[in-house]
Amino acid sequence: MLALILLCRMLALRLYRVYPLFAAYLTCNLIQAAVAVCLYQWLGFSSKLAFRIGWSTQAVVVVIRALAAAEVCRHVLGKFKGVWAMSSRLMLTCGILVLCCALYFGRDGYQFMVTKLEIGLESFIATCVVGLFCFARYYDVQVSRPAGLLGLGLGLNSCVKILNDLVFQKFVKSYLAEWNYVASSAFIVVLGIWIWGLWKQQVAVPVSGPGLSTSSVYQSLMPQVNRRLLELNEQLGQLWKTEPRRP
Amino acid sequence: MNAVFLIVAAIFAIGLVLLLFWALRGASLRKGGEEGLGIIEQAPRHVSNMVQIRQALDEADLQFAAAKGSQALAARLRRERRRVVMFYLEAIRRDFEQLLRIARIVALLSPEVSSSQEYDRLRLTISFRLRFQLTRLRLMMGTLVLPQTDMLGQMVATLAAQIELAIAKLGERAALAAELAIQSEQ
Repeated sequence: MLALILLCRMLALRLYRVYPLFAAYLTCNLIQAAVAVCLYQWLGFSSKLAFRIGWSTQAVVVVIRALAAAEVCRHVLGKFKGVWAMSSRLMLTCGILVLCCALYFGRDGYQFMVTKLEIGLESFIATCVVGLFCFARYYDVQVSRPAGLLGLGLGLNSCVKILNDLVFQKFVKSYLAEWNYVASSAFIVVLGIWIWGLWKQQVAVPVSGPGLSTSSVYQSLMPQVNRRLLELNEQLGQLWKTEPRRP
Repeated sequence: MNAVFLIVAAIFAIGLVLLLFWALRGASLRKGGEEGLGIIEQAPRHVSNMVQIRQALDEADLQFAAAKGSQALAARLRRERRRVVMFYLEAIRRDFEQLLRIARIVALLSPEVSSSQEYDRLRLTISFRLRFQLTRLRLMMGTLVLPQTDMLGQMVATLAAQIELAIAKLGERAALAAELAIQSEQ
C-alpha cells in the first residue's frame, strides 16, 4: 500500500521524469508482489513452481533496484564529469569485488543459492550507495534532500537484507517466520523514508548544475587561484635550489 | 554455513550502515563551494620554511654543539629541534590538505577535467598520508629524518604542479569558449 502511495505521489508530481528508474523499480516491485500473492494463493506455499517464479521475479526487481541506485548516483555526481568518471568506475569496481567475494566465500552447496545471490547483489548495491555518499562528502558536493533520502533508503534496505539473509542461513528453521517479518518491517521503514524524501512539490525542480553557470564567479576566482599557485611554485622552485647553510 | 563468513559479512553490513550515516550526514551538512574566495587566501605557506628545517635537521649542527658546548647541550638541542620538526610536519600536512581542498573545488568547477588527474591525486594523497605517519612515527622514536621530510615537501610541490596544470587547461578552455562566443556574436 505504501509503495502504491509513493508511486502515485511520484506520478502526481511528475517525479518519474527526474527518477525514471526508481519509478520503474516501484512499479516492478508492486507487480512482483501481486504476482507472488496470486501464485502462492493458487499453487500454495509448498509449490516449487511458485517458489521458482517468485524468486526469479525477485531477481529482476533487485537488478532494477541496482539500476535505480545507479540513477541516484548519477543524479548526485553526474554533473561533475571528471569526478563522476573516476567515482563511477571506482564504485563499480568495489561493488563487483564485493559481489564476487560474497558469492565465492559464501558458497557451501546449493541449498541457499537464492539467498547467497541476494546477499551478493545487495552488497553490490550497498557498496555503491555508500561509495556515492563518501565521494559526495570528500568533494563537498551538496546532496539534495530527495536524492539523499532515496540513497539512504536504498542503502539501508540492502544492508538489512544482507543481515536478515545471513541470520536466516544460520538459523533456518527457527528464523523462518521472523525472516519474513523483519524483511517486511524494514521495507515499510524504507518506504517511509522515500515518501518523506519525495513528498514535497519542490523536489520536482531539477537540481542546478555546477558553479560554471555564472561566468563572472569563475573569471574572478580562477585568475586568483592561478596567481597563488604560480607564487607557490616560484617559492618551491627557489626552495629546492637552496642548499642548507653549514655552521 | 561458514561461521567466519557469517561474522565477516555481518560486520561488513553493519560497517556499511555506519559509513552510510556518517557519509550522508557529512554530505548533507556541507554546502558546495561555501568557502569561495576565502580558500584561495589560505594557500600553502609553510612549505617555504623548508630551508630552516633542513638546517634544523643537519647533523653537523649537533656535532658542532657537542664539540663546542657539551653533550647535554647537544641532546637538548636535538630534542628541541625534533619538536620543531614535528610542528613543521603538521604544518606541511595542513598545507597539503589546503591544496587538496583547492584541487577539489577546481575539479568541481571544471566538469571537463580528465579523470586521470583525479586518480593521480588520490594516489598521491594515500602515499602522502602513509609517508606522513611513518615519518612522524620515526621522529617520535628519536630519529631525525631529513630524506622523508624532504619527500613530503616534494609531494606537496607535486600536488601544486598538478593543480597548476588543471588550471592551465581550464584557462585554455575558457579562452577558447570566449573566442567562440565572440565569433558567434560577430
